[in-house]
Amino acid sequence: MSIKSEAVDVSINHVKLLQQLSVELLPGEVVALVGPNGAGKSTLLRVLAGDITPTRGNVFYERQNIANLCILQRAHYRSVMSQSQPMIYDYSVRDIVSMGWLHGDNEVHENTLELALQKTIKKCNIDHLGNRRFNTLSGGEQKRVHFARALLQLWLPDSSSKHRYLLLDEPLANLDMTHEISMLGVIKQCAEEGIGVLIVLHDLNLAAKFADKIVLCDQGKVVSQGTPEQVFDSEVLTSVYGVTITLSQNPLTISYY
Amino acid sequence: MDKSNHNLMFTNTLGYTKQSLILFLLIILAVFSAIVASTNGSFEVSVVNLIRGSATDLQSLVIMQIRLPRVILSALVGASLGLSGAALQGLFRNPLADPGLIGVSAGAALGAAIVIIISPAFLIDSSIGPFLLPLAGISGAAGVIFFLYLLTKGFGHQGVTYMLLVGIAVNAIAGVAIGILTYISSDAELRTLTFWTMGSFGGVTWNLLIPAIIVILGAMLYMAPAYRALDLIQLGEVEAYRLGVDVKGLKYRVIMSAAAAVGASVALSGMIGFVGLVVPHVARMLGGVSHRYLLPASATLGAALMISADMLARMVVQPAELPIGLITSAIGSPFFLWLIFRMKQNVY
Repeated sequence: MSIKSEAVDVSINHVKLLQQLSVELLPGEVVALVGPNGAGKSTLLRVLAGDITPTRGNVFYERQNIANLCILQRAHYRSVMSQSQPMIYDYSVRDIVSMGWLHGDNEVHENTLELALQKTIKKCNIDHLGNRRFNTLSGGEQKRVHFARALLQLWLPDSSSKHRYLLLDEPLANLDMTHEISMLGVIKQCAEEGIGVLIVLHDLNLAAKFADKIVLCDQGKVVSQGTPEQVFDSEVLTSVYGVTITLSQNPLTISYY
Repeated sequence: MDKSNHNLMFTNTLGYTKQSLILFLLIILAVFSAIVASTNGSFEVSVVNLIRGSATDLQSLVIMQIRLPRVILSALVGASLGLSGAALQGLFRNPLADPGLIGVSAGAALGAAIVIIISPAFLIDSSIGPFLLPLAGISGAAGVIFFLYLLTKGFGHQGVTYMLLVGIAVNAIAGVAIGILTYISSDAELRTLTFWTMGSFGGVTWNLLIPAIIVILGAMLYMAPAYRALDLIQLGEVEAYRLGVDVKGLKYRVIMSAAAAVGASVALSGMIGFVGLVVPHVARMLGGVSHRYLLPASATLGAALMISADMLARMVVQPAELPIGLITSAIGSPFFLWLIFRMKQNVY
């Protein structure tokens, strides 16, 4: 049971963006996707989300080829958060979060929605924003609201044993230190509850501290993947990033995560 | 449950209640204006007499054959313009989208003009005769919308500007074509065409109305289930897809039903500007932006507004009539200017 890509190639206008990429995301683990700009991290995330159909290779959700899953079925397996567009009309924060609800809006489900919504809003620490208009929020606050929407999309009844996956493209951009920690905390909590999380990160320190598994990409290929200890090797990192990188177990780190 | 959660729940219930209440009031307003409009005009008919059944034969005839079809047509046209405006503004994520502004009404007008001027007599006299004008209007509207779709798809964010510019171009092209048709038309055809372009609900008969009722109500019912997808598409097309929305299907549904409703409306009543633009904005100001409320509210408000505007058109210069398009444009164009000024704040 997993979300995985198998030997995926993506080329657009004969430019190869991804080559022979195979990654797997298991329920309950946090996988950090790292690499320099243009490495293909976001493209890979979009392939896994099903936004892009790969030129060659396949993507599977729970062993089913997503080519055989309809759009709504895909939405039940995974939710995605990436750079969002500005909202034109004046929706409330509550409206935006409940856009993640996939289980219908008839009377029977209204109470379930209400409870799930309350729980999600509380989990993401945005209770105080609940009554605000979305467009009056700051960029960071809007990000947290979209994050809550992505979480609500993964809601399952307690009795369900299905697996869910969360794909996050640089979720920490625009967030201050406090909210960075808080969002990482929520993500960790989701993983403990059995959700598989794929997260595109720029900060290698964060990735090392936070992820169960690292996938290091460069030029559309996987350079190495495994635990942070296995992947983060100063020679490999130096060659990938083109700057000298040294690793140290510094006894004097300011650690706030 | 702590206090903030409780507050949140409270405002939510309040929000839904408020929207239902506004919708209810709008329905009452529409019904009320329909009653007033059917009983007022250059020929007086008392409501009381009508309910008692003590109206004269002439009074019944005026109500059943003249006023009622007219009120029904204005309600349908108002509802379809309001609803299509709301749905197109949602689909294009553009508060300035309006069936008239983007050239859809002009396309419908061109289709109708072609039928009026050059269709052979045997077609009009045949059994499909009454359907011919609505069908031509619908094809014209559908053609323009399809054209817009092709041109704006690839442009992403620029789609908005392109759409409005294409609308201007289409309006101009349709104007030229209608001009040419006018030039080659006979006196009788010219008369029909001129009356028709000024926009009027007058002279409508049940014979013409029934196909229009079927087409417009059918289009509105087909549009209705799109309300949730229209909310989700506000997040962007990719985000909507990720939330399980079949974006292609949504576009098809909204575009085809808007074309059918607007096409049939324009074919029967001529060009009536600005209703599709103004009505959804007023509905949003009254009760909010979620399409579950906005779609029915825009349809109801559009109907109420159009019935009243038509009554005004009949009453102001009795026993003559003002073109209805004149009244709606007189109200709508200043509103449009105000909207452009408001755009600086980026909140709708």
